[in-house]
This record gives sequence, structure tokens and C-alpha cells, in this order.
Amino acid sequence: MRCFNCGAVLSGNDFCTNCGTDIRIYRRIMRLSNMYYNDGLKKAQVRDLSGAVESLRQSLKCNRNNIDARNLLGLVYFEMGEAVAALSEWVISKNIKPDRNVADDFIEEIQSNPTRLTGINQSLMKYNQALAYCHQESYDLAIIQLKKVLQMNSNLIVAYQLLGLLYLHTGEFGRARKTLENGRKIDKNNTLILSYLREAEAALEERDGNALPSSRRGGSHTRASSESIVYQSGNETIIQPLNTPERGGSSTFLNILIGLAVGIALMWFLVLPARIRSSAAENSDEMVQVSNELTAKSADIDELNKKISSLSVENRDLRDRVEALSGGGSFVETYDILAKAALNYIEHPDDVIATSNILEELVQGKNEEGEEEIAYSDAFNALYGYLNSNVSKKAAEEYTQKGMAAYEGDNYNEAITNLQNSYNIDPTNDKVLYYLASSYRNLGDSDKATELYSSLVNNFPDSEFLDSAKTYLRNGAENEANDQNNNNAGNQNTGTTPAPTTTEQILPGTDLTGGQAATPDPLMGIGAAGDI
Amino acid sequence: MLDFEEELKKFHPSLEVEDAETYIHHTDVIDVVDLMIQLTEASRIYEE
Repeated sequence: MRCFNCGAVLSGNDFCTNCGTDIRIYRRIMRLSNMYYNDGLKKAQVRDLSGAVESLRQSLKCNRNNIDARNLLGLVYFEMGEAVAALSEWVISKNIKPDRNVADDFIEEIQSNPTRLTGINQSLMKYNQALAYCHQESYDLAIIQLKKVLQMNSNLIVAYQLLGLLYLHTGEFGRARKTLENGRKIDKNNTLILSYLREAEAALEERDGNALPSSRRGGSHTRASSESIVYQSGNETIIQPLNTPERGGSSTFLNILIGLAVGIALMWFLVLPARIRSSAAENSDEMVQVSNELTAKSADIDELNKKISSLSVENRDLRDRVEALSGGGSFVETYDILAKAALNYIEHPDDVIATSNILEELVQGKNEEGEEEIAYSDAFNALYGYLNSNVSKKAAEEYTQKGMAAYEGDNYNEAITNLQNSYNIDPTNDKVLYYLASSYRNLGDSDKATELYSSLVNNFPDSEFLDSAKTYLRNGAENEANDQNNNNAGNQNTGTTPAPTTTEQILPGTDLTGGQAATPDPLMGIGAAGDI
Repeated sequence: MLDFEEELKKFHPSLEVEDAETYIHHTDVIDVVDLMIQLTEASRIYEE
């Protein structure tokens, strides 16, 4: 304890040892304040909250700086549902003693839960509104509002008091008693609650004691008939039926059926159309998506088909080339033939005919235009050209010599074979052609002879054998043909007559049916040529 | 027997959050100690 005059710490003396002020009265006041605080604490411990509030207020009137009393008063207010009043006491306590004050914890706990504080404040506002309704004599609204208040703030003692009072006023003594009992559980010795509770119990005892109609404060009961009870509640007349007709099983079943029908109708008219529309929209979206995918796939398929076609063509070309390379007349075979020809020429340089026969196989491998289907290498062409130029020329000369020798020996078949080989190698030799035709003529093959003579006349206009060939074509062929027909009746050869068109092509305007001229001796031409 | 109107006068509006500040400022009333100090001061002045 400190001196109220100088602030010095007081001792056990009746005066301040610092300033000498008499402190006897001051000490008594402090004791009185503490006594009230102790009394309030005891009351609070036994849940006499309203009594504790009175004692704590007395304590604070003696000493407003009694921190313990003020903090306890805030707690009691908070327990009675007066959170704002409690908060105010704690704030004041905090201002008086800023340090080491338990009020800090209380304030912090309330402020840590703003939702709870907001709910308490709203309940207080509703209570004030209910009080306003009471002053406006809107008791029903006040009762409704107070019920809400107690749902939100179940410790608000004043709400229990006011609601109990309203129930008493409206004659609802049972509810009044129940409400007041609930309030009494929070504040056991609340004077108002106790007085109202006593009134409610008295009213209930009075009503229960009178079975017949009796008057009550604020309400009256009257049995109007055997089916109902009529009583007054405030300004309202309540008619309560005694016997409520029980509902039969058939009506219950009917109600269930009606409910099912209503439910089905709601499903049919409200839920199903929405579901159907939703499903249709989803299906439409899926259709669009599938269509797009199908279009993309079709494009891919077309592109792949084109690739397949091009690859098939390429494959076929490559296969043809492979067949060309590996089949008849292929590279390998052609090179093999050329190698054989070269080997034969090296081993037997004089046997040019054999070498020429081998080279002939290469000539047969060429196409109709006489060109190789496959482009050979330069070395191949060079070797082939060398062999062809050296061997073929010699082979042709050898064939010609053999043919002419056979011709002179009247061995026309051998002459034809050799001369034909010579002519095949060297088709520019008109002499070989002439004697080849003459050999056929001497063998009696006038058709072949005519063909070869015609070829001589057409292809070699400057040949020394031209006149002899023309003479034969003009006279000899026909005569010999006639002789042949006469001498060889029934000859199998029916095409021995030379074709006049061929003759006309050779000698336009020539009279093939003219006089019979003597057949010139073909050997005369040969002798004139002097080659043989 | 209760008089409803008289009983109703015992009820006062509860303190809301908006009213807390005003309540705190007006709570600073004079206590008995203040009265004693004032009396002691007055007595001292009188003696002088």
C-alpha cells in the first residue's frame, strides 16, 4: 500500500513515515474495498453472479483502482453474457495497470475469436430490439427475438429475465418457469429471476388446483364444448381442440401416392428435359469431334495410299531392273560372253570364226533397235569394239572365201551357209549378197533369190552386179518359176512366183511379161568383177 | 402479483460494442478515496 498523498510505501504506523499524513481512514477504505472484493469473489464462486456484481461494484466505489475487483467484475459480466461490459472493465483495468495484468489474457482471448465477439454483439443488439418491442407492446415479436438471442448467447441473464417476464405476462406460466429455471442455472441468486419464478410457480399451482374454469392473471380458460377448450392469452382468444381426429391408414397411403405422383411429375417436366438437353449437347459435341477426327484420318489414308502407289511403282521398276540385271542378257552374262570371246581370241587368234560366233551372242542380246538395254562400261565397249573390228572382219573374209569355194564347187548349201554368215557380219558386201542370191537361185529357191536380188538392186545402186540382178528379176525369175512349175508338178512350194509388187517397186514401168530373153550367166558378172 | 409495466422499467438496453468507448470514458467516477483526499485537502486549507 502506498500513501495517497506522497506515494511512499506505508509501514504499520497510522501515518505516513515520509510525509506524516494520517492514513487511518485511508487504510479503512482500502480494507472495505478488499472486503467487498472478497464478498464478490465468494458469491461468484457459488454462481451468485448478480450478488457478486453488487459486491464488486461496492468494492470499486471504495477504490476504483482495485484491479482484482475490476478484473473479477469483467469475468462475472462475461459469464452473464454481457461481453461488451466485461471487455470495458478489462480495458479500464489495463489502463490503470498496464503491466502484469491478467486482463491482458482476457482481452486477448476475446479478440482472438472475432466471430464469437460478433455473434455476442449481435445477440445484444437483438436483445435491445426485443426490449424495444416490449415498449411497443409487440410481445410476440419480442418473444421471438428473445428466443433467437438465447440461441446465440445462452448466458445472457437479462434475456432470460425478460423472456420469463413476457411469458408470465402472456399467461404461459409453464414456459416462463422453464425459461427462468434455465436462467437460474447460470445465476443462482438473481433476485428478478427468483421473484418471477415464484410468480410462475404460484400461477401454475393455482391453475392446476382448479380443474374447472378459473381466472388467471393475463389469461382465462373456458371449456367451450366437449371438443375444445377456450382460453384468453393476452388479447387473443385461444380455442384448443381436445380430440384431434386420427388420420386413417388409407389417407396416409393416399398422401404417399399423391407425393409420388407429384415427384414423378416434377422429374418428368423439370429434371428429364434438362438432362435430355444436356445429353443432346454432349452428343453433338462428340459428333463434331468424331467427324473432325474422321476427316483427319481420311486425309491421312489418302496420303498413305498415294505413298503406297508411288512405292509400288518404284518397287516394280526396281524389280524389273533386278530381273534385267540377273536374267538373260544381264550384265553378268554379257560380261561373261565378252570374256569368253576375248579368251578365245587370245588362245586361238586364227580361229576368228569361233570368236565371231561368241560375239554374235552379244549381238543377239541387243534390243530391236540394236541398242543395248543396259549401259555398259567404257572398258566393255572398248574391248567389244576391238574384238568386233578385228575378228568380225577376218571372220567375214573367211566365210566369204569358204562360201565362194563352195559355190564354185556347186555346193550351194554350204555356199549359202558361209555367205549368209559373211553377210550377217558385213551386210555392206554386195558381192556376198549377189552370190548368196545366186546360190538360192541355183538351188531352185527363186523366192529367196528374188528377195536377195531385190535387196541388192535397192541397197546397192552402184554395184557391179546390178545389171545381172535386174536381168534376173526381169526375165529369169519368171521363166525359172514356170520351168519349175512345169518340171515339178505338184511341188509343195506354192509361193515361188515372185511378187510383182516387189518388182514394180524395184523397176517402175518395167514390163515383166515381155519377151523371153536369155538368162544371163551370173558367173559372167563374177568373172568381170575379177574378185574370185 | 407483478406489475408488468413496473417490472419492464427495470430492464435497460445492454451495452453494445459501439457503446463501449463511451462507457469506458464515463466510468472514471470519483471513488471514496478521492472524496477523502478532497476532504483532507479542504481541512488543511481551513486550518491554515
